[in-house]
Amino acid sequence: MTARGGLGTIRHATPRVWRGVAASPWLYRALTLVIGAVAWEVSARSVESILIPTFLETVDGFVRLGADPRLWEALFISNQALVVGFLIALVIGIPLGLAIGRFPTLERITNVYLNILLVAPMAALIPLLIMSLGLGFASRVVLIVLFAILVMVINARTGVRQVDAKLIEMARSFGASELQIWRRILLPGALPAIMSGIRISIGRAVEGMVIVELLMVSVGIGGLILSFRGRFQGEMLFATIFYVIIEAFILLGVARWLESRVVRAAGRTGR
Amino acid sequence: MIEVSGITKRFAGRHGEVQALQGVDLTVRDNEFLTVLGPSGCGKTTLLRIIAGLERADAGQVLIDGRVIRSPGPERAMVFQGFALLPWATILSNVAFGLEVRGVPRREREAKARELIVFVGLSGFEDMLPHELSGGMQQRVGLARALAVEPQVLLMDEPFSALDEQTRRLLQEELLGIWEKTRTTVIFITHSMEEAVLLGDRVVLMSARPGRIAEIVDVPLERPRSVSVDSIETSREFAEITNHLWRSLRTMQEPVMPE
Repeated sequence: MTARGGLGTIRHATPRVWRGVAASPWLYRALTLVIGAVAWEVSARSVESILIPTFLETVDGFVRLGADPRLWEALFISNQALVVGFLIALVIGIPLGLAIGRFPTLERITNVYLNILLVAPMAALIPLLIMSLGLGFASRVVLIVLFAILVMVINARTGVRQVDAKLIEMARSFGASELQIWRRILLPGALPAIMSGIRISIGRAVEGMVIVELLMVSVGIGGLILSFRGRFQGEMLFATIFYVIIEAFILLGVARWLESRVVRAAGRTGR
Repeated sequence: MIEVSGITKRFAGRHGEVQALQGVDLTVRDNEFLTVLGPSGCGKTTLLRIIAGLERADAGQVLIDGRVIRSPGPERAMVFQGFALLPWATILSNVAFGLEVRGVPRREREAKARELIVFVGLSGFEDMLPHELSGGMQQRVGLARALAVEPQVLLMDEPFSALDEQTRRLLQEELLGIWEKTRTTVIFITHSMEEAVLLGDRVVLMSARPGRIAEIVDVPLERPRSVSVDSIETSREFAEITNHLWRSLRTMQEPVMPE
C-alpha cells in the first residue's frame, strides 16, 4: 500500500515480476524482520548473558516448544478464558455502546464510568478481582472482559453517533418506527465502526489474558512464561511469547476477513 | 385540503428565545402547487416540518382533510434539501424505502420502485449506489422515493438549492412535467423568487423575525409550463410578478445598522 508510490521512479526499468514483488508489502515486512533478527543475534552474542537468548537459540526453542504438549495445554487453558471473556464483552459491549450512542441521557450517566475505565490502569484492578472473585476462572474472564469491552462500547457508540441525523429524519418522515430506524439506518450506518471496534478489542483481550495469568493466576500461557523465567530458559520464554503473537495475528486476520465480509454483505442489503 | 391555523413556534436560541413562526394561517388547495418564499430565518422550513409532522407547533394546528396531524403520515411524503439517501443502499432500495417502511412486500415495492426510476429518467442506475450519481440524479432518486408512496401531498424543502444552476433548471422543468402528469398537491420551499414564480400556482411570501405570512401572490401564468419554461421566464407577466415579490422582499429587509 505504502510501498507503491516510493518506487515510482524505477518502475519502468524493472521487469513486471520484480515490480510486483517490490510493490508487495510482504517484501518490506520480511526485510524488516530479517534486519531485526540479525541485530538481535549480534547484540545478544556481544552481551553474552544467560538471561538473554540469541535469535537462533530462540528459533531452536520455538521448534522445541512446538513439539511440547505443555504449550498446547497452556494455550488451551488460556484461550478458554479468552473466548468466554471476549464473547461476554461482545454481548454486553456492543448493545451498550449502541444504546449510549442513541440516548443522550444514558451517555450522561455512563460517561464518567467509561472515562474511569479509559484512564484506569487495568492491571491495578487485579488485586481487587482476586479479593472478590478468587484465584479462579472467573477472575481471568472478568479481567479479559474489562480489557476488551471498552473499545467495543466506544466504537459502537461513535458508530451510531456518526450516522447522519438527516437520514433518521427522512426515515421518520416516511413513518418509520424506532425498530425500523435501527434496522435500516442506525445499524448499517454504525456497522463499519462496530466491526473495527471488535477487531481492535481482540488485541486487547489477548493482552488481558496474558497479564492476568502473569500477575494473578499462574496458569496457561502466563504460567508457562513464569516457569521458564524461574528456570532461566530465556529462549523458551521468548518462544512462548512468539506463539502468543502468532495467535493474536491469526485472530486478527480472521477478524479482518469477517469485517470485510460483514460490511460488504450489509452494503448489499436490498440490492 | 390542508388548513394551517395559528401556528406558532419558538426556539431556545443562544440569545434568548427566537420566535420562528407567529400565528401562521394558510390554506393549501387540493392539486395546488404552492411555493413558499422568504428570506433565511423566516421559518419556512420549520413550517414545512410542522406540516410534515416532524416537529410540534407550540400553538395552532394543521388539518389535512379535516384531520389534525401530529406525526408523519402516509398521505405526505418529503423531498429533502440534502437528498437524504442511504449511502449503503442501491438506488432501487432507496426508492423503495418508503414502501418498505410501510410494509409493502418486496416484489411489489421493487416493481413500483422500478416504475418510478423510469419515470424520473434513471433507468439503468437501479443497482448503483448514491455516491456514484451526480447531485441532480441523486435528487431525482429523492423525488422518486417520495412519489413511490403515492402521497396526496408532496413536501419539498428547498430540494434544488444544493444543485448547480443548470442542473436546477433542468430539474425544475422535469418537476413541472411530473406535476402536470400527477397533479399532486405540492408545498415547495425555496429562497429563489424565479423558482417560486416558475413553479407555483401561488407564492406565499414570508417575513422573518417573527416568521409570518406577509403576502400571498397568485401566479396566473399558463399551464402546462414544462414545455415553455424559457419563454415564460422572459415573459412580461413573469417579470411583473418577480418584480412585485422583489419590492416586497426589499421592504422586509432589515436596515443595516452600524454596530
